[in-house]
Amino acid sequence: MRDARIALVVDDSRVNRLVLTRQLSALGLEVLEAENGIEALDLVRAHASAIDVVLLDVIMPELDGYDTLAAMKADDATRHIPVIIVSGVEELDSVVRCIELGATDYLTKPINPRVLEARLNASLAAKRLRDLELEHIEQQRRLTETIDRQKTELSRFLSPQISALISSPEGEQLLAGHRRMITVAFCDLRGFTSFAEQADPEEMLGVLGEYHRMIGESIVRHGGTLEHFAGDGVMVFFNDPIVQEDHVERGVRMAVEMRSRFEDLGAGWRKRGYELGFGIGIAVGYATLGRIGFEGRYDYGAIGNVVILASRLSSQAAANQILLSQRAAGMVEEIVDVESVGELQIKGLSRPVSASNVRVLR
Amino acid sequence: MNEPETPVLDAAVLEELAASVGGDGEFVVDLIETYLDDTEGQFAAIEAAVAADDPAALVRPAHTLKSSSATLGAKRLAERARALEIAGRSERIDDGARIDAEQLAQDWREARTALQEWMTRSDAS
Repeated sequence: MRDARIALVVDDSRVNRLVLTRQLSALGLEVLEAENGIEALDLVRAHASAIDVVLLDVIMPELDGYDTLAAMKADDATRHIPVIIVSGVEELDSVVRCIELGATDYLTKPINPRVLEARLNASLAAKRLRDLELEHIEQQRRLTETIDRQKTELSRFLSPQISALISSPEGEQLLAGHRRMITVAFCDLRGFTSFAEQADPEEMLGVLGEYHRMIGESIVRHGGTLEHFAGDGVMVFFNDPIVQEDHVERGVRMAVEMRSRFEDLGAGWRKRGYELGFGIGIAVGYATLGRIGFEGRYDYGAIGNVVILASRLSSQAAANQILLSQRAAGMVEEIVDVESVGELQIKGLSRPVSASNVRVLR
Repeated sequence: MNEPETPVLDAAVLEELAASVGGDGEFVVDLIETYLDDTEGQFAAIEAAVAADDPAALVRPAHTLKSSSATLGAKRLAERARALEIAGRSERIDDGARIDAEQLAQDWREARTALQEWMTRSDAS
């Protein structure tokens, strides 16, 4: 912070300006002078952040004290500067009007140096507090700016729901782990492994990029939480961290949309000689959700049989199939036509599970 | 009015003024000289306003003269200037104001003499 405080003395009488300037200098202030309101406003506007206090006479030519004060208080840049009215004892009515207009304090002429010092210190202390407050607000603003930037960056790396969750007040509690009914959808490409063996790396990354873009748009449109993707395999869940009453329906609608959009994508690839199919598995059930991983690298993840089931259904799905677990199919029977694919033997599960393929949305 | 009781110069005001700037008599002498220079102009402006019967033009020079004179303890002149300022504000220069304006010339001469004497004494001391 600056050492010397700066005062602006506004008075049309040269004698009075000389006296005040001298008294203020004796108190260690640097002094600017103006002989009317116009000059005062020019100075105040040019040095709004430097002037710490204005000592203002009321009756002056050009622009009087009232109008000068009103103009200062109407301007965001100069509003905060304390103004001490300097007036004759017989002008107390005008002092009242000035206080109403926003003056901080007043002094009567002839000016007693001790009263001047006391009033000045009070005004300067208030100004100092105000400066600190402004500094604090500025720091706060920069901090918020940094946090916002971090959030934006975070949302590029994480699912938007998860980046929102991290910044939310209940974030810590949800990250610590909770159980919830979710819908899990796994999807991947049939024939991708052999394609990856044959294609140029550039070609493969190009295909993967088109595929991820398509998948990503559908996930976002239906409000899914992207848990992870590994090559062509993508896992999405619904109803967490944001609660979605219609989570099964959302998952199925997303899958149907992806399948339909894949037709164009797959046809384009076929023309380039790549035979790739698309399959999805969807299951519903309870999972434990929260922070999974280790210090240095955590993911927001889901653990439970529902995840395994959806993953296995996805690997069993033929090209263009959307396989629903029995429970999932039962929860969306009103919106889709399904066909049973019978009982599937699923690795890791002792009993076979029945599954259905989604034909069309009703 | 309490006109006769009002002194031409209240030397105590000048002493206080000197004390308020750390006993710097030279500063007060400079101040008086500045005052004597500036007041000629204000005095002329007041006379012109009265002659032109223009109350609005009377207010500011009368106010400034009142204010500077009070600062230097020229109390009788300050009081007269104040009466003229009030007349100016009333938007009418009446007979009383004209008498005040005539008296002002004498008050001004007396104040100037008294201030010059004070400076001489101040130099001597």
